[in-house]
Amino acid sequence: MSNKVALELKGVTKKFKKTDVISNMDLKIENGEFLVLLGPSGCGKSTTLRMIAGLEKPSDGQILIDGKDSQTISSVERNIAMVFQDYALYPNMTVYQNLEYALKVHKVKKEERQRRLEKILETLNLKAYRDRLPGQLSGGQKQRVALGRGMAKKSKVFLLDEPLSNIDVQLREKARDEIQSLHEENHQTIVYVTHDQLEAMALGDRIAIINEGKIQMIDTPDNIYNHPANLFVAQFVGTPQINVLEVTYQSEQILFNEHPVLSISKRLKDIGIVPEEKLFLGIRPEHVIVTHEQTNQFALPAQVEQVVDYGRYQQLTLNLGEEQAIKAIITNNDFRAGDLGYFSFIKERTLFFDHVNKNNIEK
Amino acid sequence: MNKIKENGWHILLLLICLVLLLPVIFMISNSFKTLRESYHSMLQIIPLHPTLSNYSTLGRQVNLLRLIWNTFFMATIVTLGKLVTGLLAAYAFKYFSFTGKRWLYFIFVSTIFVPFTVIMIPNYLVISKINLLNTALGVALPQLCDATGIMLFLKAMDKIPKSLIESVHIDGIPSYKILKDIVVPILRPSIISIGAIFFINSWNEYVWPTLILKDKSSFTLPLALENYISSEGGTNFPLAMALSTIMIIVPLLIYLIFQRYILNSISSSGLK
Repeated sequence: MSNKVALELKGVTKKFKKTDVISNMDLKIENGEFLVLLGPSGCGKSTTLRMIAGLEKPSDGQILIDGKDSQTISSVERNIAMVFQDYALYPNMTVYQNLEYALKVHKVKKEERQRRLEKILETLNLKAYRDRLPGQLSGGQKQRVALGRGMAKKSKVFLLDEPLSNIDVQLREKARDEIQSLHEENHQTIVYVTHDQLEAMALGDRIAIINEGKIQMIDTPDNIYNHPANLFVAQFVGTPQINVLEVTYQSEQILFNEHPVLSISKRLKDIGIVPEEKLFLGIRPEHVIVTHEQTNQFALPAQVEQVVDYGRYQQLTLNLGEEQAIKAIITNNDFRAGDLGYFSFIKERTLFFDHVNKNNIEK
Repeated sequence: MNKIKENGWHILLLLICLVLLLPVIFMISNSFKTLRESYHSMLQIIPLHPTLSNYSTLGRQVNLLRLIWNTFFMATIVTLGKLVTGLLAAYAFKYFSFTGKRWLYFIFVSTIFVPFTVIMIPNYLVISKINLLNTALGVALPQLCDATGIMLFLKAMDKIPKSLIESVHIDGIPSYKILKDIVVPILRPSIISIGAIFFINSWNEYVWPTLILKDKSSFTLPLALENYISSEGGTNFPLAMALSTIMIIVPLLIYLIFQRYILNSISSSGLK
C-alpha cells in the first residue's frame, strides 16, 4: 500500500486496423477504489479492461500498475485477477479445484490454500457445491465461483467484465449486493465493466463514462446523474431518459417553441449564456411538474399521450406536437391518456448544454 | 403421412447398412469354408459345412500373436506420435502469435494433398541412408506427424472458449501447464476419437511397411495377408479370409471401447 494510485493509464491509445478504439485515454484509479467503466456496447470499455489485464497491448501510451509499466512486468508481478463475462471456469475441474488451481501452480502452501479457500467457500455460500463440476451449477453459482477464483489470488487489482450479464434478473440484484459487500470487506481495487447504468450507479465509487473510445466524464454516481458533463452522459444515464428541448434565450427568458418556460435567474446569468443563443435544455422526467390547471405563466399545455403505471409511480408522455414529446414521472396517479395537462420544470434542476459541442455550460 | 415417410427412410438406411455389411459378412462366412466349398459356393452366406480348419492352418503356418503384436506396436507408436505432434503444433498455431504463422500453417496443411506415392521414394532413400531399413522405427518415423491431426485438433480447440485460455494467462500459468491441465482434459474425447482413426489407418497400412520391412519376423498383419493373396501356389481364398477376420478384431475392439467418444466427436464436429 505504498502507492496511493493503484492503476494509471497515461495517454493510452488502442488501434485496430488503423481505427482508434481507444484514443489518448488518461485514467487514475486509487487503491481500494471501485471504479466502473460504463458505456454503450462497442465504446471501448472492454478493450480498456483487457489492456489493463495485459490481454491486449496498447498501441500507444503507458499503463502503470502500482507505479510500474505493465509492459515490463510479468503476469505474476502484475498481480491482477479477472472475472470474465462467461466466467471461464475450467470445465474439467470441480469448484474447489477451480479455486485452487492457480494457487497450486504458484506453489502456495497446502495449509494456506485450504485456509483461504474454506473462507471463500463460506463467504460465497458455495460449501455445498465444492465437489461439483461447473456444468452442474446454475449461472449464479458459476458467477460466484468465478468471483471466488479472483478472490483466492488475493490480487491487488480485481477486474470484472460484465460479470452479471449472464444471470437471471431476479438473481442479479443479489449478486450485485454480494460484490458490493465483498468490496467493503476486502478493499480491493476493482475495475468493473458494464453497460447497465443501474449496476454502475449501485456499485461504483466513481464511474467513468466512455463513448467512442473517449472518457466522457469520470465522477461519483451523484455528480454523473445530477451534473452530467455533456449531453451524451446526461442521456446515457437515467431511465426514462432525460428530456432534451431546443430552447433560446431571449429577453430574460428561456423560450421553447416561442413560449417562455423559465425566467432567467442569477444562476443562469452567472453561467454566462448569451442572448439569442440556442441551447439544449435538459430536464429529468422526475423534475417535470404536471398539473391539471395552469398554475403559473411558465406552465405549458400539452396532451397526455400515454400513461404507464409502475405502481409506485406513473410515467407520462406529453405530446408537444411536431413529433416532440416530453416524459414526466408523477406519483399521484391522477392523469389518464387524453387528458390535458400543464407542465413546468423545477428550475434548480434544469441543465443547459451548448448547442454546438453539447457540453454542459455550467461545467 | 409422416409415419410413412419415416418408415421409408428407415428402410433406405437399413438397405445401406446391408450393403456396407455385406463384404464383412462375406469375409467371415468364407473364412469358415473349405477351399473347395469356397470356390463352389462363394456367395452362400451360411457355410454348408462350417469348419475351423482355416484358422488352425493359419495357427500352424504363421505366428499369429507375433503378427498381432507387431501390428499393434507399430500402430500404437504411430498413433501416439501423430497425437503428440498434432496437439503441440495445433496448440502453437492456436494460442501463440509468431511471424510466418499463416504461411507455416499453409505449408503444413498443403502436405495433406501430396500423395503418398510422391514422397514414397524420397522417404525410402532417407530411411536407408540413416540405416533404419527393416526396423519398426524406419516404418514409424515418417509417419510420426500428420497435418490432418493438426487440422482436426485446431478444429477441436475452437470449442474451448477464448476467455478460458486468457484467464489462465492472467493467472500466470505456464503454457505447458495450460496444455496439460486445461486443454488436454477438455479435448479428451477429440483426442480419443482422432487417435482411434489414426490407429485404424495405421493398422491397415500396407505399402510403406512392405518397402521397409524385409524380415518375416517383423511383418505386420497386412504384409502377412499378402502371402495368401498372391503366393506362388495361387491365392488360398478362405485362408486369406480367415486372416482378414483376425485382422479386424483389434480395430473392432478399439471402436467398441471408444464408440461413445468417436460418435460424439463426429456428431459435434458437424452439428455444433
